[in-house]
Amino acid sequence: MRVGLEAFLMLAAMLFSLGLYGAVSKKGAIQVLMSLELMAVAVNINLVAFSRFVTPLSQDGLFFTLFAMVISAAEVGLGLALVIAVYRRAHDSEITGLNELKG
Amino acid sequence: MGWLLAIPSLPGLAFLALLAMPLRLRNRALWIPVLAMVISAGLSIAAFLQVWPGGTELTSVVWNYSWELAVVAGRPLELGLQFDAVAAVLLLTVTLVAACVQIYSLGYMHRDARRGWYFAVLSLFTSAMLTLVLADNLLLLFAMWELMGLCSYLLIGFWYELEGPRKASQKAFLTTRIGDLGLMFALGVIYNAVGSWEFADILGSLPGWAPGVATAVAIGLLLAAMGKSAQVPLHVWLPDAMAGPTPASALIHAATMVAAGVYLVARTLPIFEAAPAVLQATLVIGSITAMVGGLLAAVQHDVKKVLAYSTISQLGIMFMALGAASVGAALFHLVTHAFFKSLLFLGAGVIIHSARTQDMREMGGLAAHMPVTTATFVVGSAALAGVFPLSGFFSKDEIITVLYHGHHYWAVGVVLLASLITAFYVTRLCFRVFTGPEQIENLHEGHVSMVAPMVFLAAVTLVLGFASPGFAEFLGHEGAWPALSIATVSTLVALLGIGLGWWVYGRRSVVVNTRAYKQRMGLTYGALVQKLYFDTVYEVVFIKPFMLTAELFAWFDRTIIDGVVNGMARGFVLLTSVSWKFDASVIDGAVNGIGTLSRAAGGRLRGLQTGRLQSYQRLILAAVVVFMLYLVVKGA
Repeated sequence: MRVGLEAFLMLAAMLFSLGLYGAVSKKGAIQVLMSLELMAVAVNINLVAFSRFVTPLSQDGLFFTLFAMVISAAEVGLGLALVIAVYRRAHDSEITGLNELKG
Repeated sequence: MGWLLAIPSLPGLAFLALLAMPLRLRNRALWIPVLAMVISAGLSIAAFLQVWPGGTELTSVVWNYSWELAVVAGRPLELGLQFDAVAAVLLLTVTLVAACVQIYSLGYMHRDARRGWYFAVLSLFTSAMLTLVLADNLLLLFAMWELMGLCSYLLIGFWYELEGPRKASQKAFLTTRIGDLGLMFALGVIYNAVGSWEFADILGSLPGWAPGVATAVAIGLLLAAMGKSAQVPLHVWLPDAMAGPTPASALIHAATMVAAGVYLVARTLPIFEAAPAVLQATLVIGSITAMVGGLLAAVQHDVKKVLAYSTISQLGIMFMALGAASVGAALFHLVTHAFFKSLLFLGAGVIIHSARTQDMREMGGLAAHMPVTTATFVVGSAALAGVFPLSGFFSKDEIITVLYHGHHYWAVGVVLLASLITAFYVTRLCFRVFTGPEQIENLHEGHVSMVAPMVFLAAVTLVLGFASPGFAEFLGHEGAWPALSIATVSTLVALLGIGLGWWVYGRRSVVVNTRAYKQRMGLTYGALVQKLYFDTVYEVVFIKPFMLTAELFAWFDRTIIDGVVNGMARGFVLLTSVSWKFDASVIDGAVNGIGTLSRAAGGRLRGLQTGRLQSYQRLILAAVVVFMLYLVVKGA
């Protein structure tokens, strides 16, 4: 049996949904960061899948995915730094307490 | 003879001086008006002696002084004074009587709180009369005429705290004002016809007047004189004028107010002679007045009212003389009457002052306590009754003679009848007051300042009659002693009246019960007590309709005019309330509504701003989902 484009897209959608759910509902900043990574991974899967099935002759999608992975790694670095900064300030890493933007 | 100017101006200056003073000082400066009046009287004697031996023409002017007031339409309007025989006689009379009255008032008014003002008005009154007598033109005369009206108003209403004097002063002012209309009318007609108000011009141009003019002028002048000299039917103010202080009554009745009317007619008599009908009317009005005044005097109980009606009657006799075109007789009676009537009023003043009542029924037996007053009063009464050889006898006889020679035989009868009544009521007055049982305690003779003027006036009354031929000659008439026949008749009439009075009132020395007479002549007596219904008729004919009209106008004002004004106001109030409601509900409602709306919206929306990123995320998610659903549905 041959695995088609739809299976990859379905996987990406499930991952994205999981990430979205986590980003929206998790309390811990680390967990939210991880959920964001999940969503980024889902996007990368989409990129690779479209690259393999829609334009099989070109390698553009694969390289674009590599760049995206590097950028999300940097993102995670930046996010972790932010989490540490918040923790230093509030002695807590739960984002529910961070409501200073409340009007 | 410029010093003649001082005669009228001295009392006038005294008035101004008193006017400028505060009340306290004014009450203490009474010597100023009295001194001014006495000097004025002295000057008048001197002025009289200047013309006394002359006696050429009644209207020959001895001295004239005039100043230009203005130029009206190219014609000079001059006011001036002139001095002739008539003026000399009246100056003398007025100043002497006024001086007596002022000296007398020192005693009579010495306790009044406003005596200063009283003396001031008295002076102004006299000053006005003196200027009127000296005026050489009708305009100045008219001004003084009105000034006297004002002064009489002030004097009659001197005790304005009481209702009687207040009403009497208004009545006097308004009644004489009707006559003043006549004078104004005459002034207008004269200026239209002659172009000048000077007596010389008026009387000089008289022959050239258009036919009706003289009649019109004479009617106006007669009306004026009737008002001022209290002739029927304008006599009603004079009895009421008794509400004023008694010396003021003496002045009004003798020297100033009422004399002005007679004087006016005497001055302008040629105009009357040019209008025979009016002259005849003067005679008739005088006759009616003489009778009415006499009859009403006979039923009065108030001492002053008796004298007041007596004045009306005597003025009527003067008018009869004028109606017979005799200036001399009228003026002579005016002069003698001035002296004896002021004497009687001053005597009445002493009686009232001492008895503290004016009702003769409450008096009696006063002779024993006040001999001087009694003697002078009896002299005055006898003169009024026309007893030989007092002044009243001569002047009345002269009038009878004049009427007789003028072939007004019925008028002679009227004068004789009036004399009979006069003698009767005078006798009644004397017996009731001076004889009979005493009813009042603490009677006393008047103060010397009150008695002295009376003695002087009585002396004048005693001797003045003998001046009769001289007086007539002085005024340019051929004078004579009264004819024996006429004198006998009039004396008999006077004695008859006195006898009648004695029969009724003096025979028994008890208080006379007149009820029997009243019952026997019920209708006549009732009519007389009601003052022959003059006041009643005026009340019904003039005052009631006037009040009714006034009520009508008041009603119109209250309902229509006030209604319109109030209605407009009410409408405006309504309009503003509507406008206020619009403001409060619509305008304010809109503004407040917007405020409330945004506040409520803000309150609702604030719930969304939790400050938590994840809730924002959820919103974004929901929005994206909705957007996606929309795309899907739309795409399908």
